[in-house]
Amino acid sequence: MSIKVDDKIGTVRRAIPVRDARALFLRFMPGIVLVVLVLAVALANPLFLRPNSLLTAADSAAPLLVLAAGAMLVILCGSIDLSVAALASMCSVFVALWVPALGGWAVLAAVLVGATAGLIQGAVHVVAQIPSFIVTLGGLAVWSGIGLVASSAATVGVEGDSLEWAFTRIGDARIPSAALIAAGVAVLIAAVFWFTPVRRWFEAVGSAEPAAVLAGVPAAQIKLAAFTVSGACAGLAGGLLVARTYSGAPGLADSLLLPVVAAIVVGGTAITGGYGGIGRTVIGVLIITVLRVGLSVAGVDPSIEQIIYGVLVIGAVSLTIDRSKFQVMK
Amino acid sequence: MLGTYGPPAALLALCTAFSIASPQFRTWTNLRNVLDSASVLAVITVGLTFVLLLGAIDLSIEGVMAASGLSVALLLANNRNDVDLGFVAIIAAVALGACFGLANGLLSTRLRIPSFMTTLGVSAIGIGVATVLFGGIQPTISSPAVAEWANGQVLGLTRLTFVAAFVVVVGVLIQRYTRIGRYARVIGGAEDLAALSGVRVARYKTLAFTLAGALYGLGGVMVTIQLGSGIVAAGAGQNFTAITAAVVGGTLLSGGRGGVIQSVVGVLIVTVLANGLVLIGVSPYVQKAVQGIIVVAAVAITTWPLRERMRVVK
Repeated sequence: MSIKVDDKIGTVRRAIPVRDARALFLRFMPGIVLVVLVLAVALANPLFLRPNSLLTAADSAAPLLVLAAGAMLVILCGSIDLSVAALASMCSVFVALWVPALGGWAVLAAVLVGATAGLIQGAVHVVAQIPSFIVTLGGLAVWSGIGLVASSAATVGVEGDSLEWAFTRIGDARIPSAALIAAGVAVLIAAVFWFTPVRRWFEAVGSAEPAAVLAGVPAAQIKLAAFTVSGACAGLAGGLLVARTYSGAPGLADSLLLPVVAAIVVGGTAITGGYGGIGRTVIGVLIITVLRVGLSVAGVDPSIEQIIYGVLVIGAVSLTIDRSKFQVMK
Repeated sequence: MLGTYGPPAALLALCTAFSIASPQFRTWTNLRNVLDSASVLAVITVGLTFVLLLGAIDLSIEGVMAASGLSVALLLANNRNDVDLGFVAIIAAVALGACFGLANGLLSTRLRIPSFMTTLGVSAIGIGVATVLFGGIQPTISSPAVAEWANGQVLGLTRLTFVAAFVVVVGVLIQRYTRIGRYARVIGGAEDLAALSGVRVARYKTLAFTLAGALYGLGGVMVTIQLGSGIVAAGAGQNFTAITAAVVGGTLLSGGRGGVIQSVVGVLIVTVLANGLVLIGVSPYVQKAVQGIIVVAAVAITTWPLRERMRVVK
């Protein structure tokens, strides 16, 4: 036993200088990448810097940002939520089905459904001590199954303008409402992180859960909260998607899982938890969005997008992961 | 006891229950349908078993099947190009699958990233490769000899079903008598001890991932032959079904336990369940949700006693 303790101390001591270099790298790299990307796209096509194209880009980034903001909380406490995209798809079906009865309030109902689904996943993860990727992989199947059954595997159309508020342009500046909603979610999370001790709790649970528990951090509650907010964000993203496609479908958001994970890790949030934040996630989402625009400007076949997401996820995870946390890598 | 006899008993119970509930279920034709429709799932689940034995997981099945399926469709006689490599096309597609598996293994062991992240990324890469190969025009296989493998019957079963049976036998032999199989179990049981005992953990992990990738490639080839054309969605939904089958059969996600035979029992359970539920009139869409619950419940049941010991689970 004593050997093991010595061993631990040894690793920590060796890790400190390395960690500083890594932290420095993680802090500035995403921002630099974003600036370089924007400059590259602007050089290739100067029209990209016109306010109108920038606002269109912001509009298209909104659902991604909402999903990523929630999923980032789960990753920050060291777990992962692979179900966000499937949950957003399921919620899109519910929004489309409920709009005739509830009007615009259908989105709120979907947010509540998403939050409940997230809470269930969090509770299974915390109570049964099952790794979060298994719980949320199972959840992914359950939510898409429910979405398929509820919609009879068909696209559900939405009539009328009760969801117009979520996909319109506001004021003379023509600011997209979806981007404002997404920004609102990000600002809300940032405010909670800034004005309450919650941020430190998340980071403590993500960095060293046993130590956090001994220090009196409500670790189980923090994890439950993370999964619940992640689910609620998925519900909101489902609503935003319905507003822009005028329909809900059981596979509507499924292709967003990889971009969401890519945005979070490219922004510099470590998949091992304890390091990251909402600002980084916003930067990560912007990187992914500008990258998409850049690819189409460069005339790259859009089917290559998936390959790029795959490479980005693996590359960014390998750069940001904290390997000292693992005795063996499964 | 429950671990050894539970899954076969469940299979027997399911068959009995469906036989009572549906006269259609208890016919020879339906038995042949079940075996034929289990063939692809059996092949990929045998591959997945070697990864699960390591204690790792593989989420790349859909991507690998898509890439292999499209490449085999483009390399056999088809409506898109003048290439017709015959049997070599199948070898090439399986080899492509093995390359994806090798990438999974190398990325996980050399970059030291959890396998669920690497394989998720590799799956996206596979889907991307398949989409590029698809190129907007669906490649349709025009060789009648190839179609014969999916349609023609030998002893009442399609030839692909015999391919699957052969893969299962080879899988059992690899698991029992080669280092890939035996070390996979050792590594999954206690990776640190295996490394201290001189097992080249990284090498044998990579080999297990490569073997699995080759079998996903073969699965993609089989689906493409069944459909008669290459599509990007060749493996859609198969990844989770394979995980369900393995877990239900008694191959634990925590590694070191189970094996090819257990997984095949799981494949039969999942296939009988799908077949029987359709015959008694349950929507096939419900099955996806049921599979999700089954996996989480199975993992919860097997790890419940360890709950207190594993205080920190991410």
